[in-house]
Amino acid sequence: MTDTLSDSPGSGSGAGAGSGSGSGAPEVPDRHRPGTTERLRRALPALGSLQSYIGLVLVIAAGVITKGAVFWNQTNLTNAITAFASRGILAVGVTLVILTAGIDLSVGSILGIGSMTAAMLLVHHGLSPLLIVPACAAVGALFGFLNGVGTTWLKIQSFVMTLAMLSVVRGIDRQVSNNVAVGVQLIGPNGQPTRKADAFAKLGTPGHQLVSGSWLPLFGRAGVGYPLIAFFAVCVVFQLILSRTRFGRHIYAVGGNPVAARLSGVNVALVVIAVFTLSGMLAGFAGPIDAAYSASADPLAGTGYELDAIAAAVIGGTSLAGGKGSVTGTAVGALILTLLDNVLGLNAVSDNLQLIIKGLIVVVAVVLQRPGFLRGAVDPLTRRIRYRRG
Amino acid sequence: MRPDGDMTADSAPPLLRMRDIAKQFPGVRALTGVDLTVHGGEVVALLGENGAGKSTLMNILAGVHADYDGVIELDGEPARIHSPKQAAHHGITMIHQELNLVPELSVSDNVFLGRELRSRRGTLDRKAMHRRTTELLAELGLALPPQQPVRECRIAERQLVEVAKALNGRLKILVMDEPTSALAAAEVERLFTVIRSLSRRGVGIVYISHRLEELKEIADSVTVLRDGGYVGSRDAHTVGRDELVALMVGRPLDNLYPRAAEQRSDGPVRLEVSGLTFTPTPGQSGTALHDLDFTVRAGEIVGLAGLMGAGRSEVLESLYGARGPVTGSIKLDGRPYAPRSPRQAIRRGLALVAEDRKAQSLVLDNTVRFNTTLAALHRFLRPWRTVNRRAEKAAAAEQNAALGTKTASVETVVGTLSGGNQQKVVLAKCLLTKPTLLLVDEPTRGIDVGAKAEIHALLDRLAEAGSAILAVSSELPELLGICDRILVLCEGRITGEFHRDPAHGPVAAQEAILSAAMARQAVLASGSTLVGSAHD
Repeated sequence: MTDTLSDSPGSGSGAGAGSGSGSGAPEVPDRHRPGTTERLRRALPALGSLQSYIGLVLVIAAGVITKGAVFWNQTNLTNAITAFASRGILAVGVTLVILTAGIDLSVGSILGIGSMTAAMLLVHHGLSPLLIVPACAAVGALFGFLNGVGTTWLKIQSFVMTLAMLSVVRGIDRQVSNNVAVGVQLIGPNGQPTRKADAFAKLGTPGHQLVSGSWLPLFGRAGVGYPLIAFFAVCVVFQLILSRTRFGRHIYAVGGNPVAARLSGVNVALVVIAVFTLSGMLAGFAGPIDAAYSASADPLAGTGYELDAIAAAVIGGTSLAGGKGSVTGTAVGALILTLLDNVLGLNAVSDNLQLIIKGLIVVVAVVLQRPGFLRGAVDPLTRRIRYRRG
Repeated sequence: MRPDGDMTADSAPPLLRMRDIAKQFPGVRALTGVDLTVHGGEVVALLGENGAGKSTLMNILAGVHADYDGVIELDGEPARIHSPKQAAHHGITMIHQELNLVPELSVSDNVFLGRELRSRRGTLDRKAMHRRTTELLAELGLALPPQQPVRECRIAERQLVEVAKALNGRLKILVMDEPTSALAAAEVERLFTVIRSLSRRGVGIVYISHRLEELKEIADSVTVLRDGGYVGSRDAHTVGRDELVALMVGRPLDNLYPRAAEQRSDGPVRLEVSGLTFTPTPGQSGTALHDLDFTVRAGEIVGLAGLMGAGRSEVLESLYGARGPVTGSIKLDGRPYAPRSPRQAIRRGLALVAEDRKAQSLVLDNTVRFNTTLAALHRFLRPWRTVNRRAEKAAAAEQNAALGTKTASVETVVGTLSGGNQQKVVLAKCLLTKPTLLLVDEPTRGIDVGAKAEIHALLDRLAEAGSAILAVSSELPELLGICDRILVLCEGRITGEFHRDPAHGPVAAQEAILSAAMARQAVLASGSTLVGSAHD
């Protein structure tokens, strides 16, 4: 990691020299010039903010210092990340919405209904996981689409629209399940788990428990199961969409300045509907993973996950004002939250205290990521020094 | 205009003296050794190109920058001004270029923001505030209902509301950053009347403007800054325009309006509009357009003149599909065209340089490259709609180099550029879509003299190369300088057409255009004001 960072100023200036469009003179003296951190961040636009990496290092250091090998071993780490994978996937979808200056509070509920859909399709209809997963994603996408339609055509603020959706979807979830959790560990007539139930269970299992019969023995031995693969794949795909495609460009434009985006020919409403649909789709997709991991679909599954997802995006440097952030940053933010959970758990910190600490971390992360924070910290100092002199 | 003259200036200490002011930003020395003196009742014009340090100097005076070197004296006493609150305490008010009003609050609430009047019960005394607001606005010749939300006011009205807000407080020094850049001629005249009356009351006024023409009329002295340094001060009544320009740019400037003298009128008709009518939906701001007929030929720059609220921007925005449904027949190169959306307009070869570049044209937090290619990304797509970033970057760099945008690289954040360079990025964005009809709304608002001349030259080159250009400007000299033809709008109707070449029809001249712009005003003048009527 250190290598990457120390390399970047070189690559940054190289990019600058290529343009050759104007003089390097400070054309705007009354605006501040980019500081070193800002130049670093500019050189690594897709990699999230520098501060979030520092945070990640700090959390890992805390784990290693307090628990040593109990923390820093493959089983513990992959277990921790597997437990968080479904929330990480939610965070990616929420990041897309936040980049357009919206918010999606309904992802936790949509994950819940995704997990219930998965369990019911498996238990009552005996569907294969290969069909269950896309079906859940489609259910999620439908609710997400409705969020998008509400915010664009009905012009409801996304906070309100998705808050309403949070309630509605949770209600549907509880109604169809009769408030009873649905277990997914089906036992066949021979006393063994049925083949489909077994396949479904793998969706939520950490890799090192997939001993035999796994499709991916290599990954499995490295501790990488489907939840991790799914999270990683979602991150890669959506980061590429953001940084490489026209659609991604339009997401940033809509979040940065919707008027300018519209006058530049961007179909703003379509972009907004698309990001809400994708966010819903990812939440629905995360449903079966969560059900498999918990071995059952609880009607309350996913409650409060939206806050973890938003926290991961914010810690990863995505601005709620829109137009700034990345999926990679969100992935780092999700990792920080995951490992923090784990370190606190290993140190037997009570749940209540954990909540308090998580809240504080979000505040600290946001303050640290303010543009020019470092300069802001230095300026008052120099001012004081100058007063003393003058 | 200055009541006390030089004798008092010698005997009494000046109202404001800033001495040897220096300001350092990280990596940049923004100001060094700048002096500024303002006497009571004096109007001092502060001149300089964008980036010369005018705004920094005034921000120091207004307490925005807490950290600077040098001495500020008020009435001969050293004053510590390190926060906007301290500045307000000394009676210093600054009206920023980016207006500081809360759009959702009413005009009256804004005028009284932070110093609300309360009744004896402790609740807001709206009646008194409304009354006082109406009085203050009347002084400015503005008849806005005090309860109207500021968001429904146009830029020029908001500016006058800001002036009213300043007038509502204790006022010793008023700093105005480009107050007239958004005003049409009649409003400028009204503002000058206000400035003169403030000056008679002994208020010292610092006046930042890029319009050299108005300085003689309003200012007593002129102080020029260049590259963060003090260049000199002159008497505003005797100094020549050329001398000022030379002081500002450090070299004599070529013609501000470089163009061919003869009228270009032989291109094929590119845009043909007949019976264009637009009615704002309830709740939508803007002026209705009534039955407009006009044409724009290839290779021709056609100007749209008119007072604020005459419907100039509405014409451009309607054509661009940004305003909702219009009726009437529009033909582009002889083919029918029904504006539906900006997206479709771009496809049909239109491009719009919008009135307010920060609010409507740029994603300020993003890079020059991002903004330049935003409207033309389809030209850089590979399979799967991914963007060919190498080609994109090269095109952005090339287009900006062609326009002379001064930026360290195309990866520079647009919000950090000066106004003139931001405007060039907007133009680069429009040109990258290869438009055949360019709509430009206030193309040089708030940018410095040098950049203005460059943009004028650019528009002229585009026209020479066969583009059709429809231009809106509140600065008549600008339209007279660059246009082949000028259409005058008044309250959504065309009330005059003027030509560069007298052989084609009535010749474009300032007086004739102004009288056409106010054609219907004479009829409506009884009672409603210029501004008020635009919203009725």
